[in-house]
Amino acid sequence: MNPLIPIMVILPIACALLLNLFHTKERTVKILAIIVAIALPIIPLIANYGLHYFGGYAPLAQNPTIAQGLPSFITSSALNIFHPAITYSFESAQRLFIFILGLIAFLAILTSLSETKKASGVYAFLMFMGVAAVTAILLTDDIFNLYVFFEIAAITQVGIIIASKIKGNYETALKYMILGSIASPLLLLGIALLLGITGNVNITDIVYSIKNGLVNPQNPVLLTACGLIIFGWLYGSGLPPFHTIKSAVYSKALPHGAALLQAFSVFTLVALGIIIFRIFSYLPFAKVFIIAISLAAMILSITMALMQTDVKRIIGYLAVGELGYIGLGLGIGTAFSITAGLFQAVNEAIITAFLFIGFGTIIYKTRESDIRKMGGMMIETPKAALLVFLAGLAMAGVPPLNAFQSKLMLIQSSLNAGIPELGVIMILMSIVTFMTFMKAFYAVYMRPKPRDLEIKNEKIPKATLFSMIVFLIVCIILGLFPQVATNFLQGLANSLIV
Amino acid sequence: MSLYDIIINRIKKVQGKDEENEPVTSIEASSTLAAEITLLSSLLVAVIMLRFFSNALMIVAIILVIAIAIFAMPIMPRLKREQNDSLNGMIFYVILALGIIAVLFYWGNLNV
Repeated sequence: MNPLIPIMVILPIACALLLNLFHTKERTVKILAIIVAIALPIIPLIANYGLHYFGGYAPLAQNPTIAQGLPSFITSSALNIFHPAITYSFESAQRLFIFILGLIAFLAILTSLSETKKASGVYAFLMFMGVAAVTAILLTDDIFNLYVFFEIAAITQVGIIIASKIKGNYETALKYMILGSIASPLLLLGIALLLGITGNVNITDIVYSIKNGLVNPQNPVLLTACGLIIFGWLYGSGLPPFHTIKSAVYSKALPHGAALLQAFSVFTLVALGIIIFRIFSYLPFAKVFIIAISLAAMILSITMALMQTDVKRIIGYLAVGELGYIGLGLGIGTAFSITAGLFQAVNEAIITAFLFIGFGTIIYKTRESDIRKMGGMMIETPKAALLVFLAGLAMAGVPPLNAFQSKLMLIQSSLNAGIPELGVIMILMSIVTFMTFMKAFYAVYMRPKPRDLEIKNEKIPKATLFSMIVFLIVCIILGLFPQVATNFLQGLANSLIV
Repeated sequence: MSLYDIIINRIKKVQGKDEENEPVTSIEASSTLAAEITLLSSLLVAVIMLRFFSNALMIVAIILVIAIAIFAMPIMPRLKREQNDSLNGMIFYVILALGIIAVLFYWGNLNV
């Protein structure tokens, strides 16, 4: 039993509760938040791979002490290998995802502590609870445990928006909750139908039941469960029809909050997408639907990004559009495309966080986010301008930065799979993404400064610049050495195909 | 404005035929144009993928997309208006998507 696996979830929860308890003591909040935020990316690097069974209840096949007292009709059946406890699975892919999530969380928390006048224990509580929830979603092999943390993640996201004090944030938070009240119960209904048909909430056992004929794979209730779980997945990740509310959520949060929220969405998409693929990949229609919805996400979101005038809304729509690339990787369904899609997820989480924090420096200086009222910021913040420009190049897929490698892999996988149309659309959307970014960059940094634009804060905090440089270093490393990430992902991709 | 004018303007607004009151900047115009071209070209390329199901369906869909493009242009301002932050609009599309998913997954899969 590896105690570090549950600690990856328990530590941020415990930290969150303590931060809430001591929220009036600013120094305590800052020290505790920084210490735990540093630990978040370190723990997955030092933890060993393996499974963790809560309560120590391993399957009967691994527990001969209990098994020897049981009748043979139990020990010779599938019950012998079923998992009685909530199981957390920590393998190479989870190591990479939780490390990247921890890194983004650390940098977002560092930025929030340096940019806000008074450190808020309650705000930090929400951030840590969100990180804990998404970490649990990535680790869990129990679909009901996943739903519990899915709901916690949704509520913390709502809290992060409400804490931002941006105009219209309460309304957006309420709309997100109302839409969640449609999607989340349907996700739960899908899980309940799966439980009813298979008798299991453990995903490995559900997959075993379907593959070994214990349940009829073409059972209409199972197909309905597939549709409902996919609907919940659309809500959690921000794919259409939830793309408008997701981009609104990003625009109403503070930039460092938005950086963390988009990481939550990306890793929820990855975790739930992998689970849907594991259980329902035998249905050809499921993959067709994932491709269709991913294309819709790309086309609708990236075209809408071109029409926006709020810089956070532009990045928000681009972030949702980039999710389409990940979905295409999963939908094409080959080992190479799944590796490429998961690599794109890692890259996109980093780049979008980089862009939110980068453009967030402008919002920090001017308290303005409408690009029609901005300009001339290249003279005010030349270093930040250069870093933001590099982030934009990264998002567009310019070598030697990271998204180039993942997008190239995705295009190659679409060609190998005999669907060149997807490759054409991906290239077209990358060009339009760059065009959109350059529109925002020109409006904010390059054109002359409007006379009525006031600079409210003179200096950008060093911690913010440090965060941006760390993101840039990660982008360059993954761009020059993509195998640093893909080596972690290939095992998972190959296991999904078998 | 008389009551009659108010009613007519409201109907025009619902039909999408009302005139924008704000001046249009060149950045907005070029963004809308770029978005329009992107939308149509990506839709046309995506529709070609229907060849995996049926060539006849693909041809019909391509002709339909071209016809919509010719007769319904400009599409982007309407698409932007539809994808606003209105809760009613979002719930409508969510329920519509749920209905499509339920139909496709239940009846579509039974015949695949």
